[in-house]
Amino acid sequence: MRIADKMQFDQVKGNIAKNRTQMSELQNQAATQKRVTKPSDDPLAASRVLSNRIDLQGNNQFGKSMTYARSFLEFTDQSLGELGDILMRAKELAVGQANDGTGNEHSRRVVATEMEQLYNQIVAIGNRKIGDRFIFGGFSTQASPFDQKGNYKGDAGEMMVHIDKDSFLPMNVPGGRVFLGKGVSTTGMVKTGPPQAKTIEEFQQQQLRLQPQPQQGPPPPEQAVAVRGPASLMSPTALTNSVEPNPEEDNGVNLFHVVRDFMISLNTNDKEGIQNVLEPLDDALNQVVLTRSQVGSRSSALDSYLASVERQKVDNKVAISQLEDADIFSTVSDINKAESTLQATLETSGKMIQPSLLQFLR
Amino acid sequence: MMDVGRRSLANSQTALQTTAHNVANKSTEGYSRQRVDLVTNEPIGEGKIRIGMGARAGLVTRTNNEYLEKQIEREGNQLGFFNSRADMLGRVEQVYNEQTNEGLNHSIGKFFNSFRELSNNPESLATRTQVKESAAHLARDFQHVNGQLREIQNDADFRIATKIEEINQLTNEIANLNQKVQSVEVTGSPANDERDRRDLLVKQLSEKVNIRYGESKDGQLTITAGNTAVLVSGYSHRDLVAQSTPGSDGKGEGNYEIFYKSTDHSTPVNVTKQLRGGEIGGLLQVRDEVINQFSQSMDEVAFAIAQDVNMAHSQGFDRYGRTGVLLFNAPESLNGAASQFSVNQAVLEDVGAIAAAGEPGKPGDNRIANILSSLQYKRAMGDGSSTYDDYYNSMVGRIGIESQRANSAQQSQGEIVGQLKNIRESISGVSLDEETTKMIEFQKSFDASARLVRTADEMMDTILALKRL
Repeated sequence: MRIADKMQFDQVKGNIAKNRTQMSELQNQAATQKRVTKPSDDPLAASRVLSNRIDLQGNNQFGKSMTYARSFLEFTDQSLGELGDILMRAKELAVGQANDGTGNEHSRRVVATEMEQLYNQIVAIGNRKIGDRFIFGGFSTQASPFDQKGNYKGDAGEMMVHIDKDSFLPMNVPGGRVFLGKGVSTTGMVKTGPPQAKTIEEFQQQQLRLQPQPQQGPPPPEQAVAVRGPASLMSPTALTNSVEPNPEEDNGVNLFHVVRDFMISLNTNDKEGIQNVLEPLDDALNQVVLTRSQVGSRSSALDSYLASVERQKVDNKVAISQLEDADIFSTVSDINKAESTLQATLETSGKMIQPSLLQFLR
Repeated sequence: MMDVGRRSLANSQTALQTTAHNVANKSTEGYSRQRVDLVTNEPIGEGKIRIGMGARAGLVTRTNNEYLEKQIEREGNQLGFFNSRADMLGRVEQVYNEQTNEGLNHSIGKFFNSFRELSNNPESLATRTQVKESAAHLARDFQHVNGQLREIQNDADFRIATKIEEINQLTNEIANLNQKVQSVEVTGSPANDERDRRDLLVKQLSEKVNIRYGESKDGQLTITAGNTAVLVSGYSHRDLVAQSTPGSDGKGEGNYEIFYKSTDHSTPVNVTKQLRGGEIGGLLQVRDEVINQFSQSMDEVAFAIAQDVNMAHSQGFDRYGRTGVLLFNAPESLNGAASQFSVNQAVLEDVGAIAAAGEPGKPGDNRIANILSSLQYKRAMGDGSSTYDDYYNSMVGRIGIESQRANSAQQSQGEIVGQLKNIRESISGVSLDEETTKMIEFQKSFDASARLVRTADEMMDTILALKRL
């Protein structure tokens, strides 16, 4: 083959450029420790890295949300524990004052003052706050859910926490349920609210089901905005009713009524009355304990979800690393290989360019 | 005899001159080495004796394989296309590159996470502010990506305009060379240097745009770009013009199109669609097809997010118990949704307008916030086949694949062209060794010819001296 000078120079130029490019790519890999620095390096990996990253981001948030929900539930649990203790104490006192052997008019008066304290404590527990949120108010977290008479101003709203791609867990117990026994069946089982709607369509259907009958009156004019869906047909009062469970299910015990009955009986020295209050007190205690166990099971569910989210986070990170990180051993060995190739290219290039017939004609 | 020597001297000189020309043009792009064709002179003689009358220089010819040149031209056209395509796609790819920095994927995640945070504590102004910030961030990212795509398109316009200028200069010079080639070759000698130069220019032209060309019997090159735009015909050439036009057929508003006028007075014809090859073809393809596809996909994501979020949000109630406003300004149409993606002013001014509740006057109600948070995992795109993230991520995968393919096509085409150029050099290139040898050869024959003249002179002297003896 006929070799022209330009050919040689072009070849040398091309080869050195090729080797240098390879070197610089490998060096970049070694420096960033990344195999994929732009989507075209490995399109499939790049897109999978992204979906893993967004999963990781979501899992981080789920973890954060769960930690928050956990503290909320723990505080609820603690409050319910105190409530149980108070009812237990009330029960003890009631048993003590239910017969004439251990109780008399005087002692009943003394107990009545203690019961008043306990009653106030129950109200205080009902109005407990975490941060600036009343924990027993349902969705109404900014106003005291209970007044001194034990009237409930909150609602039956359950605050759901997004704990997984498609799971929600309620983090609060509406006070109406545990204090007033609303939404509690005859067996003492506590009914939970409707599941969290995942789409706006589901939400509208839930609202439709709960929608009150038309005879409840026309909607207030400011609510009748055209953009609103079926929810706009509900007046605020109707809405409050709508989330309250059916009256048939309100078979629980109203703690305030029971305690107040007990106090009246004590003050009037009514032995029969005190005896009559024993069973409701038991039911009340039961209601609180059941609710508390429900809270406890939510807490433990959260713990296991939290653990699985942590595992998923590790999985995400491992997957990302496997997809985009450079295998440092193979990178380094590739660099060595590329380096020796470059060296060889440079040396042979020097030899190839040097000699020409001209040098031998001096 | 003296005359033979004189002619031989002249021949050697011509050959040395050509060698010098070769050496001087060793590195000239497109140069083909030249040779002097020496032919023997007609011998003279009487009877049986015919005496050779030496040699004379015939033509100076170039060593060149025109089929190879044509092949290089064709492959060079492909290379130009792949080069500009790979280059452009590389830039588009950078817009979607989240390997090193946080992009839209991250913003989408952050946006939905902010609703989870809001759902944890809908009463707090801090979580509401977080929603506002992440929504604004999302809007900025949408606009940013969209803006970058537009910028690449505009840059392509700029480059197209420059290339058109270069094409016009090339065709101008080719038309001039046509004239020179003709005026030289009419005397019967080949116009080596002019043809070399013209071949080179045709190759350069072909790298920029797809052309067809043919040579007439008198050596005139006629060049047509695309199918109908005759750029060079004989001594004359016609310019292409790049002009910004109103948008049409998926082409962005104001992008350049290329026009051709067949005579000075005829109406310009739009030839953009015919220019499918070379650098201009690559630029046009990425600008009009690839980028528009991607920006359409961006519009789809932006439109879907804005619509779905708005729909849920407007069913909720804000901090003051009012019906939820639209969180994002409603896009007018699918087209351009990404560029119009912005947060409602009412929300920017007062984060209390963010609706988390499903009922009015319930500060702790987080049902709408939860619905919004669930939206991230809803298969809302592509007829329920993918989530927003999936859709966006597959977009990143798509540009990755496109770019990867363009890069490898560029590389292999570059190797093909490199190989062909190598072959061309091995035929037409100048070798110093060879030229040095030739130099010695002709120097020797120059010496010998001079000796011949001297010998003839001495012989003459001898003859003249005869008389004196």
